[in-house]
Amino acid sequence: MKFDLAWLTDLLDGAPEADTLAERLTACGLLVETRDPIDGSEVWDVEVTTNRPDAMNHRGLAREAAVATGAGLRPLAVDLRQTEQDAAELAAVQIDEPELCPRYVARVVRGVTIVESPDWLARRLEACGVRPINAVVDATNYVLLELGQPLHAFDLEKLAGRRIVVRKGAPGESLTTLDGETRKLDPSMLVIADDNRAVALAGIMGGADTEIGGDTTDILIESAHFDALSVRRTARRLGMHTEASHRFERGADPEMAPIACDAAAALIAELCGGTVCRGRIDAYPQPWTPTEKEFSLTELSAFAGLQIVDSEAVRILDGLEFEPRTDGDRVVVTPPSYRVDIDVVPDLYEEVIRHVGYDAVPSRLPVLPTPPGHRNPSWELVDRGREAAVCAGLTEVMTYSFIGDEDDLLVNEWPLVPGGQLPLDNPLAVTQNTMRRSLLPGLLAAARETLNRGERSLAIFEVGRVFWANGEATDEAPRLAVVLAGLADGDRPVDFGDLKGKVAETMDRTGFETVSWTRGGAPWLDESEGAVLTIDGAVVSCAGLLDTALGERWELRQPVYVAELDLSAAPASPPVVSFKALPRFPAVAADMTVEHDADLPYATLQQTVTELAGSDVESVDLVDRYTGEGLTDGTVRTTLRLVYRNQERSLTQEEVNADQDDLRNRLRERLGVSFA
Amino acid sequence: MSTARLAEVREAFHTALREAGTDPDRVEQVRIDFAGRRSGVLQELTAALRELPKEQKREYGQALNELKKLVSNQLEEARTAAAAAGRMLARPKVDVTLPGRTARRGAEHPVHLVRRRIEEIFLRMGYDVEDGPEVEDDWHNFEALNIPPDHPARDDQDTFYLPGGHLLRTHTSPVQARVMERQQPPIRIIVPGRVYRRDSDLRHSPMFHQIEGLLVDEGVTFGHLKATLETFLHALFTDEMQVRFRPGYFPFTEPSAEVDISCIFCGGSGCGVCSNSGWIEILGSGMVDPRVFDAVGIDSDRFTGFAFGLGIDRVAMLVYGIPDLRQLFDGDQRLTEQFA
Repeated sequence: MKFDLAWLTDLLDGAPEADTLAERLTACGLLVETRDPIDGSEVWDVEVTTNRPDAMNHRGLAREAAVATGAGLRPLAVDLRQTEQDAAELAAVQIDEPELCPRYVARVVRGVTIVESPDWLARRLEACGVRPINAVVDATNYVLLELGQPLHAFDLEKLAGRRIVVRKGAPGESLTTLDGETRKLDPSMLVIADDNRAVALAGIMGGADTEIGGDTTDILIESAHFDALSVRRTARRLGMHTEASHRFERGADPEMAPIACDAAAALIAELCGGTVCRGRIDAYPQPWTPTEKEFSLTELSAFAGLQIVDSEAVRILDGLEFEPRTDGDRVVVTPPSYRVDIDVVPDLYEEVIRHVGYDAVPSRLPVLPTPPGHRNPSWELVDRGREAAVCAGLTEVMTYSFIGDEDDLLVNEWPLVPGGQLPLDNPLAVTQNTMRRSLLPGLLAAARETLNRGERSLAIFEVGRVFWANGEATDEAPRLAVVLAGLADGDRPVDFGDLKGKVAETMDRTGFETVSWTRGGAPWLDESEGAVLTIDGAVVSCAGLLDTALGERWELRQPVYVAELDLSAAPASPPVVSFKALPRFPAVAADMTVEHDADLPYATLQQTVTELAGSDVESVDLVDRYTGEGLTDGTVRTTLRLVYRNQERSLTQEEVNADQDDLRNRLRERLGVSFA
Repeated sequence: MSTARLAEVREAFHTALREAGTDPDRVEQVRIDFAGRRSGVLQELTAALRELPKEQKREYGQALNELKKLVSNQLEEARTAAAAAGRMLARPKVDVTLPGRTARRGAEHPVHLVRRRIEEIFLRMGYDVEDGPEVEDDWHNFEALNIPPDHPARDDQDTFYLPGGHLLRTHTSPVQARVMERQQPPIRIIVPGRVYRRDSDLRHSPMFHQIEGLLVDEGVTFGHLKATLETFLHALFTDEMQVRFRPGYFPFTEPSAEVDISCIFCGGSGCGVCSNSGWIEILGSGMVDPRVFDAVGIDSDRFTGFAFGLGIDRVAMLVYGIPDLRQLFDGDQRLTEQFA
């Protein structure tokens, strides 16, 4: 919020120099963000938090400055000359909605000439970002910026029946506001009306019909107090935000209404040469009542962690116009009408502590029992998955949790679809209008962008949540997804084996055990290079070559390998390593080349060999796989390496050879395979 | 023949061997010349033994044996050296400046690197790391935190809504409320997580990450809040960093404090990053508002506490000098690879 430094210091007795003033205001909670020199002054941009509407004007800020610097706040003085004519004879105010309009003050000024504002006033308005219009309107804005009370000037002649009625909008009624827009009104909105029609949106903006024009001579000044919530709701519904609504929404001061009304009337008479009629019209159906609050000075010091001197606390509260009275350790205060933020006792503590200065509070670490902290298992799990993927050589990326609904619809065909689509009510963009049910659409879009930027090798993963609708409820779960494309090991195209290696390693390190890979995953995955991963029959992952047609959707025109993993299916804690005695005798390796039907899955072959081999066989691993010349179609030659080791003695080559022969016979019998 | 002759031969052998160097052929020639079975000099010297008078035999024999031993040892050494030199010659020399072979290295996203660093600091101070849902209800995200409907603070946290009254949490603070609802003090937690606000520009992304902290116990003071955050910020950045507390406003804390650090780029003298102020806003904090305690069923007469929150992405941007927040969520591996 913009402030004029000269204006501010005008309100102070003994203001310090500008640097000190800025520093002290910042220290007490009114951050001076920027300072721009202008002719003879400075424009300050001060961050006034939403709970402090009382400081959103020069006098309010000066009050804080006075307490913060020890300067004096000049008393409010309005030099108002009134004529004999009684305002009440010229206009009337009727409040139909006292809850929404607890106070309405009006004054009448007659015989004005509409002129331009003098330079000094126009400059101050401009410094605060308000455009000068004419002296009457400018005077109301000037008072708003100085005292914080939103005001409005009506052309009295144009008010039908010379009467103000504060009522709800009627169905079908409309109003053209000062900005030229025609607004549809309804009973949820509070309006200012005359005998015939609405003439202003209460607390937001006046109407064009009753606007001050070049021929205006008599005016009615409105200085009212409106309910914050009502103004806020109406402004939001109409998409409006004005200087007036900004203040009313946050809470204005009902006790300021008559003073501001007088100040505006005096200023208008001074600038425009009119005369102010005698008396205010003041409808105040719901007067503000002061409430006393009290707190203990000892408890204040304990709360702050700082011994605060009693007299200092009292000085601060007095400067802030809280009218403090002390009674031993108790302080009784009456928060002023403009301090809408004061409610509970810590609100009072804050007033004292922020003016004593946060710097003055000594920093002291709390003394507490210090058992080591522990991490929620859900964090342990996702970080375990993340570390596992990094160990497998994958690079982590992040994409948005929301994607386009069309992309998300494709997830219906994905074996890992968790539930129903979950659209956003108010998305920022159509490409981000639905919560993701899979990490893959976002990752594939990212893959396209990265490959288009010329990356020749892509190996990325993401850990994040997917979201879905579950009837009326929603649900979310952690996932890990992988995308590989381009070259692997620097010079050859990536293939299924690369994907499987990385996925298996990631799952293993994450703590998944006994995962079965079976062909599947269509239509997302290619018919011949896709797999569904299960644990005890439950699908935990899918991995394989992205279907070509589906890849087209993301303009991916090269082989792209994808996998997604349901991290919530992982065990809560990783398996504990159980040590096995280190072998004392050497191992003997023996290879075995098996010729078999291509339909026989390697997993079956490997498991059968492991099962049929004697207890001396330590491991069975793949060495080579061959198809082609020398073999009939549909036949594969698989070379396995068996490692034999006995725990009690060294094995001889003859013993191993005999075991191998025996194993071959049993495999012929069990699987119908032959040997090269 | 005499022992003088033996000394001559020893000298000649040494000279021949030195000249042969590590050339295996020349070493072999030296062997033949001196220790050859048929015509070696040693053979000749041995034959001479028989010719000597008896009284000289003993002395000459001993000296001859020593010479033989010496020749045999030194020839062996020379042969080994020659063989080693031969092997060296046979192998090409490695260009040690060529790059080595490595497996592809993975990398963690910088936002998570920063999160782990922050978690680590608080774990050491005895804080637990908590978790909560990203899809929230109005109660936990707003009402329990003293932000009733139509509160102006809701303007600052423009919210994404989902069907059925659900919303995407706008901060990690709802987890505070959830933990306090199920657990009585003492409570000491931090909550990292993903949050969402309807906003998008250079410094705002509709999705970002926060870490929330909460400590509730008897006798917790504003001085405790200050010390805890100073300790944390010094651990995260440097001990020399200055920390400034300014009064601020959050609906769920009273009093509230904005926490600034002296600019890590200019050291406080003023630069573009800190808008020439010398300070960078890093944290929001305050003493838990008693209305929050009342909402979650904690006795606000007995307990006090403090809470704080900071943007993880923002810290990552500061620490690593990343200019655009949204770049973090582009899914571009080239960003993360810099942190491998």
